[in-house]
This record gives sequence, structure tokens and C-alpha cells, in this order.
Amino acid sequence: MLAMLAAASQAAQQGTGIATRGVSPQPRGKPSGLPFHARFSDVAAAAGLREPVICGPVGHTDYILESMGCGIAFIDYDNDGWLDIFTVTGTRRDGAVAGASNRLYKNNRDGTFKDVTREAGLIRQDWGFGVTIGDYNNDGFDDIFITQWGQNVLYRNNGDGTFTDVTQKAGLLHEGRHFGTGCTWVDYDRDGFLDLFVTSYVEFEFDRVPAAGKNPNCNFLGVPVYYGPRGLPPGRCWLYHNNGDGTFTDVTKALGIDKAKPAYNLTAMAADYFGTGRQGIYVACDSTPSLLFLNQNDGRFLEQGLEMGVSVNEDGNEQAGMGLGLGDFDCDGALDLLKTHFSEDTTVLYRDVGRGGFEDVSMRAGLGVETRYVGWGAGIQDFDNDGWPDLFWATGSVFPEVEKVHLEYPYKTPRVLFRNLGKGKFEELMEAAGPAIGEAHSSRGVAFGDFDNDGDVDILIMNVNEPPSLLRNDVSGGGHWLKVKLEGVKSNRGAIGSTVIASYGDRRQAQAVTAQASYLSVNDRRLHFGLGTAATADLEILWASGGRETVKSVSADKLVTISEGKGVVKSEALTGFPRRH
Amino acid sequence: MRGLAVGLIFIGSLLGQATAHAGKAMQLMQDRRYSEAAVEFEKALAADPNDDTVRIQYATCLFAQERNADARKQFEAARKRLGERPGLNYFLGQLDLRDNDFAAAIRRLEPLASDTSFPKATYYLGMAYLGEGERERATVALQRATKNVPNDPEPHYRLARLYSMTGRDEEAKREYRLYDGARETQRLVEGEGRACMDALQEQTLEKAREVCERIADPHDARRMLLLGQLYVGKGAFEDAVRPLRASVELEPELFDGWHYLGLSLYWLRRYSEALPALQKAAELNPRYFDTLNLLAATYHALGDDKAALPVMEQAHELNPEDAKLAAALERMRAQQKGK
Repeated sequence: MLAMLAAASQAAQQGTGIATRGVSPQPRGKPSGLPFHARFSDVAAAAGLREPVICGPVGHTDYILESMGCGIAFIDYDNDGWLDIFTVTGTRRDGAVAGASNRLYKNNRDGTFKDVTREAGLIRQDWGFGVTIGDYNNDGFDDIFITQWGQNVLYRNNGDGTFTDVTQKAGLLHEGRHFGTGCTWVDYDRDGFLDLFVTSYVEFEFDRVPAAGKNPNCNFLGVPVYYGPRGLPPGRCWLYHNNGDGTFTDVTKALGIDKAKPAYNLTAMAADYFGTGRQGIYVACDSTPSLLFLNQNDGRFLEQGLEMGVSVNEDGNEQAGMGLGLGDFDCDGALDLLKTHFSEDTTVLYRDVGRGGFEDVSMRAGLGVETRYVGWGAGIQDFDNDGWPDLFWATGSVFPEVEKVHLEYPYKTPRVLFRNLGKGKFEELMEAAGPAIGEAHSSRGVAFGDFDNDGDVDILIMNVNEPPSLLRNDVSGGGHWLKVKLEGVKSNRGAIGSTVIASYGDRRQAQAVTAQASYLSVNDRRLHFGLGTAATADLEILWASGGRETVKSVSADKLVTISEGKGVVKSEALTGFPRRH
Repeated sequence: MRGLAVGLIFIGSLLGQATAHAGKAMQLMQDRRYSEAAVEFEKALAADPNDDTVRIQYATCLFAQERNADARKQFEAARKRLGERPGLNYFLGQLDLRDNDFAAAIRRLEPLASDTSFPKATYYLGMAYLGEGERERATVALQRATKNVPNDPEPHYRLARLYSMTGRDEEAKREYRLYDGARETQRLVEGEGRACMDALQEQTLEKAREVCERIADPHDARRMLLLGQLYVGKGAFEDAVRPLRASVELEPELFDGWHYLGLSLYWLRRYSEALPALQKAAELNPRYFDTLNLLAATYHALGDDKAALPVMEQAHELNPEDAKLAAALERMRAQQKGK
């Protein structure tokens, strides 16, 4: 009780309105000295990603709306086998920024991208936040849904390089104005059509929330900062059922989604978390307990984050959940979770322990050494193809004003990469992972994918009021890899919600096809398995439809396409494109 | 003889410095400025390495910052000088737990399990058993912890997780409910505290009272303390007295309650009522500058400069840089000499 009241008093006095534990970093152990075979270089400018993503004013943040930044997506909108890029943008209160827009960049297959936003019909500058990519009408082309402050937007991919705003026609307009954030396609009823889950963060109106400096209780280390999220009415969640005819029906109430406690919702990530053949939805929540909606046998959802151990930290305290990673860090064939938080708190790593849900292993895994930065988009990905998935998250403060007074709290901060040492242990790498890891930005959304088709995982990062970063990964060391692309037949076309377990050597690594992860962002839907020294892998697929399929002895260093019920239908070597010097 | 005298003067000066640094450190601790407090504690110990009280305070300051290895070093040093003390083992046991040395934690915490001075020891013991894989013992210890500190959500959460892991679903549900209840109470207090601060800032005191009084719970010392502190923060001393008085009636060893009660009564010029409150606060925490400063001022206001002078001397030793106090002390010394 003493600690509680002291904390309450302290939080109230500090008035930042964000949950943080005041955790000091744990001492760093002796470096392993092992070589790391992935090196990242930021090639965004050379690739043509030069337009800044707008998010409120530069140098100060008056409102929470201006601080949260946007998601970013890898999408192959023209089905040419090369990842294109979609960036969501915000705007400014004092007026639209000339030329700024959400952007679609087409991959030129030579290391560069072409801005095709206008031709695609995607010009829009609004308060955009989240994005989810999925083929909701099963026509073979990926569609785009974005969340905004105001109305969300559904763009149907016309299959000819253009998109059409079909929000109203699809029945996805909502009453009133909401601060839309998380969104993910999810086929919760396994009918082969993608349904849509959407969250909002807080209830926000400019004229109802004091600007930074107007409420003396809102300060960070004495510096006036914006108000919220604490003190603002929390957001909510929606679930829309896909009627299969291009329209959706709001089933939030009917399926029990509205029963969850109101929370400050951010990233939403759907997957078959427990291998039951039914998808659940995990929502990272800021300063309130995170939510895990589990699909019950009667089709309804029950929020069970607490019971599954992913709602609060191991002390029972809520954290400032921002981004989510999904993967299998211990290669036991079950999906684990990564969730980023505010500074002076640890990023949490949850291990799937079967019965009882997940166990917080952050400190045991060695993540406690890094508590300096506010964490955002995150992933569990094998960057060096050694067969053990590593951890990455982007960082960035939300208070640009603070560094002017406190140099130790910079607004732009470096990226964080932990390499997997095996046996559940991680080691933070700085210089060893290449120059782009140490570069400082105030980043938010992150997408993981192989944009240059060279057999590794590259990283695309949204930076506030700057152009995105594109971290090209150049892997050495000769580790094998395998990419798996799933095509649903009974399942939705993009197989969103399916899980693949790759068995290689003595490991079984699970990965899931998601439509939103990281921070309000979308990863490459082709699953990338580093295999280390293994030259083949056996694959077990848990389709979103509930079906299971096994494919034996798949050769490494290839992209294989598996069609539901038909096994491998295509196997191709990826050689990348010629590098420019 | 002269050498000895010089030596004694030097030692006296060092001890004076030690007191000043320790006083500053305590002040910083009170403000939760732990890293700055640690520096002051280090200076105090450099001047007087034999002050075990300061060493233990320094160790708890390091503990609060999760500087585990440094905290352990200081606790161990105190243990060497003072022998086995339950209070030291309570912290050392938690440090063992942080270092994943579960066997050591069990050794230290087991004897504290029935000591009512350490109601949360059973919780840490439960966590140590859990670390050792002794689920049954962990369950028993955590069950006891939920009884010892029923309003603390942590033991309920850990016990609920343990039940979940071991398939005791119904018991898990009950503990999750209890956790939820305890956590909800915390959130409520946080929200109420924030709303009260906003109201005090933006509204008239009369209107703010309506918001702030939601914090009041006549059976909960900590809520009453929080309410009193919030009123004090706004300078609403009249309003602060009632909840602060209630807080110390409910929990007579609550230093903050006595201190803020004394402070409020002092500013209300109710010196004779302020005196016993500040005396009690000084008894509970004899190294807190603000309390001693106020106590001396209260004696003075009551016309008892004879009692005020030694308290001022103590306060001055704790914070020799306080120019106002130094000047007042000079004046009082001169006056007393003149008498």
C-alpha cells in the first residue's frame, strides 16, 4: 500500500500520464565475443524514400495526437514477388503540409522505389496511424485499411495498380470521431473471409484537452509536456464481420469484444497463439493492462490477458505497451511474444509455457540491460540466419521539448538489437550489427521483410517528421534459410492467421502470418526461417481454416509457395538484384 | 596534547560534514532523487565510515535504484559490524532473489516468515521457492503473503499465475479477482489523486474539495495521507489537518503524516498543536532537515528559544548551506549568550 500510494503520488506529481516503472538497467555481462553475421545499412535515401512522414510540429508536441506516430507496411500490391512499401502519414494542426501524403512506393527490383501514390489513387493527408494489409475480398490482390483520428479508411485494390476508397460502401464508417490506432485482419470464424478488428487509443478532441504547458501537472522532469493518456477517456475495440460480399457488419457487442475493460489500445496482432486452430487477438495497451481476446468454442471472444499472463508485468503492474513482436525465440514450436514499453522499463519477452499461457522471461533472457529508450515497433526475427530468432525494436522519445533541458533524455535515440545466444539468453549488440543500428531517430512503426529478395530480413522504419529508414541487411556466415509463402484455399487467400512450424536440426521454430504487428505496421507475409547449418527443414502448417498439413524435407535457401491442401506448388531461388556501387 | 586537540577538532569537523551530507541525502531520498542522494550518502560515509545508520540508509537508497551489487556490498558491510539483523536479511534476501540465488534467499527469508515486522517477507520467500522449482512450498508462502498484505496486488497476481500453471483454475480465478480488486483500488486512488491535483490547480478550493474528498477513507491511513499532502501542495493547510490527523491516528508510526500535520499546523499558526506533531516526526526521523527546521521554528514561535537552539543546531548540521537557518542560528546564539 505504501509503495502504491507513493507511486500514485509520484506519478501524479510527475504528471507524465504514462506508465513506467523507474527500472534501472541491469549490469551488462561480459560480451560473448561471438561474431554476428548480419550488418545493417540505411539505404532509404538511395532507394528513393526521401519524403518525410508528417506527425505534428517539429521540436515540440502539444497534444498526444501529435506524438504517437504511424505504422508502415511491406505490401506486394502488384503481385510481382517484390515487396513494395506503404507509409501512413499524419498531419499538423495548423494546416496540411504541402505535398505530404500516405505513400505507395513500388519496388523497381533494382534497389530503388518509385512513388506511385498518385497513380494508385492513394493521395491522402490526415491524422493517420495504423495500417493492416489483407485480401478481404479474396480477389488475389492485397487491400489496405488504415486507422485515423476521425474516420478509418478501407482501400480496395483494383488489381490494376489503383485503389478505391470503399469505406462507406463496406459499411465501415463509424459514428463520431475516434483516435483509431490498432487494426488487423483476422478470420475469426474461419469462413475464408478476413474479418476486421480495430482499436482506438483515447477519446481526443483538441478543444477538450489542455495543450502542453496549460496544465502544470503535465510535466516530465519539470518540463511541460502534453496531456495523456492517463486522465483522458480510454479508447475501445471493434470487430467487423466480413459478409463475403464486400460489406462488413459490426459484431463487437454480439461477440463479447465490448466486455473488455476500456484501455489505451495501440497495436493489434491476431494469431493462433495456442495452436488450437482458432485465432486470438492481442492488443498492446498503453498504461493499462494489455488485452488478449481468445476465441471461444461458441464463436464469442473472452478477454483473458490476465489469465494468460500477458496483461501486466510479472509484478502485476500495467506497462506502457506500444509494439508487439511474435515469434519463437526458444525454438520449441510455440509462439512467444515481445512487447515494447516506455523508457525506464524493460521490453517484455513472454515465453509460451502451454497451460497457464505465457511467462515473463525478460530479466532471465537478459533484456533488463536496456531500459533507456521508449520502445515502439518490434520483432522476433532471425537476422543472421543462424537458426535462432533475434530481437529488434525501434525507439524514440515522445517529448521533443525535454532534451532542451535534460540532455540525458534525447528525442532521437538509436535502434535496439539483441542477438539470440541460444538457451534463452540474449546479448545487446551496438556497433557489431552495422552502422544503421546506432543511428538516432524518433521512430515508431517498423516492418520486417526481404525487400531485395536476397534471403535475409531487412527492416523498414517510420521516423517522426523524417523520411523512413530502410535498413538493408547484408548477411555473411553462410547460414541457410527458407522462406515460406502460404496461399489459402479454404483459408483466406493470404493465409493470414496461419502458423508454420519448421523443424531443422534439433529445433522446431514457429512463425505466424500476421496482418498487423510491430507498431501499427505490417511485415512481409512470406515467413523467413534462418536454418543455421541445416540444409533442409520439415514444415507443419496450421492453416487459418483449422486444417493441418505437413511438408517434409524442403530444401533450404529458397522461397517455397505452399497452397492449402496441395503442398509446395512453387520453389524459387532468390538471388536479389545487382547492387549499385 | 596539541596534536590530539587538532585531531579531535578535525574529527569533529568531519563528523559535522557527515551529518550535513546525511541530512541532504535524506532530504533527497524524501524527494525520490535517489542518484543524487547516493552521492550525498557516499560523502557522509567518507567523512564518517562508522555511522551504521547512514550506511543502511545508503544501502536502501542503492536498493531502490536497483544498484544491486552496490546495495549488497553496503548491507553486507553493515551486517559485519552489527551482526545478523532481520532488517538486513530482509533486504539481502530480496537481493538474492534479484540475483536468482534462490537458495540463499530462502535461507535468509525463511526465519522472517513469521516476523510481523516484515509482512511481505512471505511473498519474497514464495518467489524464492518458485525460483527453486518448489511449487508446493511457493504456494503455501504466497497464500500466507496474500493474508499478510491483502491490499497488495502483487502476491495475489503471483499466486493466481501459479494456480493457473498448475491447473487449479477455480482458485486461480479467485486470486485473479482479488488481484483485480486490489489493483483497481490502486488505479482509483491514482485517478482520484490526479483529478484532485487538476481540480486544485484549475478550480476554486470549494469546488476542488468535492473532487479531492473522494480520496478520503477514514479507515485507510495512506489515502488520508495522500489527501493531506495534496492539500498541503496547494497551501490549503486548514483542509489538510483533518486527513493528516486521521492518518497518524490510524498509523502512529507514519513519519510523513506527522511531518505534514506539523507543517500544516505551523503555517496555520497553531504552534502548540504543531509542536507534538513535529516532535513525533523528529523522533521517527531525526535526520530530516525540514522537520527539525520546522520544530525549531515552532519552539521559537512558542517563545521557547532554549529548546529551539539545540534543534536548530541539529538542523544546521544537517544542512549548513541553508543561509536563512544559519543566520537565525547566529542571532539566537548571540541572544542566548547575551542573556
